[in-house]
Amino acid sequence: MNRAYEETARNHQLAGGEGYSYEGRMWEEGRGDGGMDELLAVLGYKVKSSDMADVAQKIEQLEMAMGTVQDDGISHLSCDTIHYNPSDISRWLESMLSELNPSQTFDPNGSFSSIQSTVLGQQPQSSIVSSTVPSRIYEDDSEYDLRVIPGIAACKSADSTSDLQIEGSCKRMKRDSCQISTFPVNSAATAGSVPETTRPLVLVDSQEAGVRLVHALIACAKAVQNDNLQFADALLKQIGLLAVSQAGAMRKVATYFAEALARRIYDIYPQKSSIDPSLSDVLQMHFYETCPCLKFGHVTANQAIMEAFAGSPRVHVIDFSIKQGMQWPALVQALAWRPGGPPAFRLTGIGPRQPDNIDALQQVGWKLAQLADTIGVEFHYRGFVYESLADLEPSVLDIRPSAEETVAVNSVFELHRLLARPGSIEKVLSTVKALRPKIVTIIEQEANHNGPVFLDRFNEALHYYSTMFDSLEGCGLTQPNSQALAMSEVYLGRQICNVVACEGTERVERHETLTQWRARMDSSGFDPVHLGSNAFKQASMLLALFPGCDGYRVEENDGCLMLGWHSRPLISTSAWRLAAG
Amino acid sequence: MAEEQKKLKFCINDHRDVLVEILKRLDARSLGVAACVCRLWCSITRNDALWEHLCFRHVSPPPSGVRTVVVALGGYKRLYMVCVKPVLSRLAGAKIGSDGRGTGGGGNGGDSDLTRRVWRRHGAQMSLSLLCVDCYERLGGRLGDASASSLMFLCEPVNF
Repeated sequence: MNRAYEETARNHQLAGGEGYSYEGRMWEEGRGDGGMDELLAVLGYKVKSSDMADVAQKIEQLEMAMGTVQDDGISHLSCDTIHYNPSDISRWLESMLSELNPSQTFDPNGSFSSIQSTVLGQQPQSSIVSSTVPSRIYEDDSEYDLRVIPGIAACKSADSTSDLQIEGSCKRMKRDSCQISTFPVNSAATAGSVPETTRPLVLVDSQEAGVRLVHALIACAKAVQNDNLQFADALLKQIGLLAVSQAGAMRKVATYFAEALARRIYDIYPQKSSIDPSLSDVLQMHFYETCPCLKFGHVTANQAIMEAFAGSPRVHVIDFSIKQGMQWPALVQALAWRPGGPPAFRLTGIGPRQPDNIDALQQVGWKLAQLADTIGVEFHYRGFVYESLADLEPSVLDIRPSAEETVAVNSVFELHRLLARPGSIEKVLSTVKALRPKIVTIIEQEANHNGPVFLDRFNEALHYYSTMFDSLEGCGLTQPNSQALAMSEVYLGRQICNVVACEGTERVERHETLTQWRARMDSSGFDPVHLGSNAFKQASMLLALFPGCDGYRVEENDGCLMLGWHSRPLISTSAWRLAAG
Repeated sequence: MAEEQKKLKFCINDHRDVLVEILKRLDARSLGVAACVCRLWCSITRNDALWEHLCFRHVSPPPSGVRTVVVALGGYKRLYMVCVKPVLSRLAGAKIGSDGRGTGGGGNGGDSDLTRRVWRRHGAQMSLSLLCVDCYERLGGRLGDASASSLMFLCEPVNF
């Protein structure tokens, strides 16, 4: 603008008011009437001075819209659109804006725009429909017919007024609206007539759709909690459509939560018997490969166990969650290099029954025995099949006296499952005490998914799993859409389903926070063991090995270590010993 | 004729011990290049002792008994290519601070040298545990599709 001003000033001086032919014509026009702004007229645009504020606002809005739209969302603006009379900046802006934001300019019936403007008038632009607003709209429609939803993402295209179909993603909506090149300017006036809002434009914004999606999920959960299942069902359809408009982690999380909510509404709880333990093993393996969470747990627990085993000639590890035994090769190798030579290493693995009589536990033992033999560590293995840890009796485990053998108990993501049945956790902890271990290492998810109120659990789970999925995506470890990543997501998805859709003894993913576990262990007669700086260093180094994973943090929390993604802790490792006396 | 004989008087290939000493000081890439020179050099560079030196060059003498373990797990060359090289390069790029984050300032001045050495030692040990896990996976198991991919995170992503 400044340069134009200078140029015109110079031209004025040079030409003495007449100017060259092109600019002179413009200049004269500008000097003439029509109220055209002089400076813009020099540049070839016709804008009324009275419209200047409006035009400036529209330019700003267009800039915002173009900045926030998805990648190829505006390419049609350059190829397909027909601009009439582009020198009329006001109308040109109007047409551009209408193509980016169809709902803003269409107004088939006054009721819609009035509802929209009243809704917008009531709330600031960035806030989202609270659960009270939908009920205002639905109160006269007993079938929860979602005809009118404020906002863009759910808006119908201008052509169909009675059609509820929303044509897929926002991008397609924009393409359809290409045909509507210019729209009457008075629609802007309609929006502008709402006094409270200076920005009546609600932009097509995937970020905003994301926020709306979160709110829809929470509203649905609230409806489910209030037993308002019809409304919840209607919201589910909403959520499905909103989720499609998202990309990446947000979409996946929303899809899993929507599915879990659907299962809860329709009472389709996945039966426990249908959960194949071998499948869950495979899923956890893929999760182990793609995410540093499990590796972090293994490394820190192994370090604590190594420190507890210092100086013992015979050691015994009892693993409550042997799965594929991925934690133990590293321990065997570390034991092999112990100054003073390796001890005799005994491992007891406990796991659920596998289908088809495949003895997975024995396979693990066999592989570890081979490895130990290669490395030169004396190794013994026993596997026990138990459906629930509470059925375990200490006498079965053949514990030798403490003078002879040092015992360690290890549990990765297992203890929280016991909270589903009352009394189980107490029984297991007393069993552990009866084993007289030197150290007990517990690796658990750091979240409270076991509160009494469903909505609180839902909110917690939403935040936790969003962070988890973000970390999987942000880690950049695997190519997007690779099989391992997909399997890890299924692994997390099953947890989500269990937290949201199941109740009672079926809901086994009862995660609790470190604080809660601390209280429980304290009251059961255990003292905390501080994980040393070696564990911290190893964990940090492990994280440094992951490419592009700046988001992960290792934090020390009063002797326990936590792995978090940015500021949100995800996994915690804690170590315990029997309380003195 | 006599001049040529004088020129050929010293041939490195006749002094294998000297050759080995020289090759010991090379880095991995140069060793690969050296292996292309002639058959003799190729067989020497395949010698695991060279790679052992390469693996533990920058750290204090490794614990005794390492050799049997590493040989059993596939040899030093394998250890270097699969684990040590990516681990050390990632750690060098990461500049680990004391606050447990992947990036961030390391020590300054003399401290950084010590920090680097400390991390290299830990890095070497971590490489060994990773190799162990990898070997364990390759021992074959029940899961038919279980390709050993616990070390996948060390591989560079491929952009198509």
